[in-house]
Amino acid sequence: MFSEARSAPPRVPDALMAQVLADAQQMQPAASSPGGLMSWLRVLGGGPGVGGLVFATCVGFWIGVAPPENLPDVAGQLLNLQTSAGTDDNDLTSFGWDIEEG
Amino acid sequence: MNMHAGNTEPDTEAELLARYAAGDPAAARLLAAQVTPRMFAHALRVLGDQAEAEDVTQDAMMRLWRIAPDWRAGEAKVSTWLYRVVANLCIDRLRKRGGVPLEDVAEPADPAPSAAQGMQQATRLDALQAALNTLPDRQRQAVVLRHIDGLSNSQIASVLEIGVEAVESLTARGKRALTLALEGQRDALGFEDENI
Repeated sequence: MFSEARSAPPRVPDALMAQVLADAQQMQPAASSPGGLMSWLRVLGGGPGVGGLVFATCVGFWIGVAPPENLPDVAGQLLNLQTSAGTDDNDLTSFGWDIEEG
Repeated sequence: MNMHAGNTEPDTEAELLARYAAGDPAAARLLAAQVTPRMFAHALRVLGDQAEAEDVTQDAMMRLWRIAPDWRAGEAKVSTWLYRVVANLCIDRLRKRGGVPLEDVAEPADPAPSAAQGMQQATRLDALQAALNTLPDRQRQAVVLRHIDGLSNSQIASVLEIGVEAVESLTARGKRALTLALEGQRDALGFEDENI
């Protein structure tokens, strides 16, 4: 009887198969286009990769605009907002210390 | 023996599911044609009700389409995963029936061909379904999965989320109960010394 049951499986109603296919069509993800924005984002590493890039860019911009004290203010120098004063080290040798020390 | 379970290679099913998730419109049609008949047949044998079997099959297939983009190939076979979903949906339905006597459950539509030589077979299949309906839920599922759907014991263990030994026990007890249920109809069903 089992073999008979296996050899005569119930027929799937046409309406059921049509509904299954309609559901599949409705729920199918859209095919991704090869040149789209999403493909570029995937090349850059997806969400985490793009997030890292944006973060690094913001930090770099911030350091450029408002650098810590031990870093030169390149933006200020470029915009002539900061003057630099060099130290003249000639005084250390002007009295001839190097000669006297022999 | 493994007629239905072996209809398609699991890798092919996973490949079709991946193609569906990638937007290939033909993949859904091919995959649905391969797995829907098996899921519907299983649900019908376990539930014994055409309308409920259709609902369960549609629900299970919707879950498959929904999970397609997140499907991780290699973790589970598509058909085994689907059998598990259908089995759980069937158990939910059977539990909701509560105290409804199995005798009140509608007989399934005759799945046999309408030719005259198929009448005896149709009678046998109806008798088998009636006998299946008398089994406890888990026994019925295990017997259908093993002897009609043709799954291996390890596949059934995965579907029913129990051990292989429990599967062997369920199928053995189920088959004994079926034999007893059909014993009195042996002559009417045209059996002589055949086993069920």
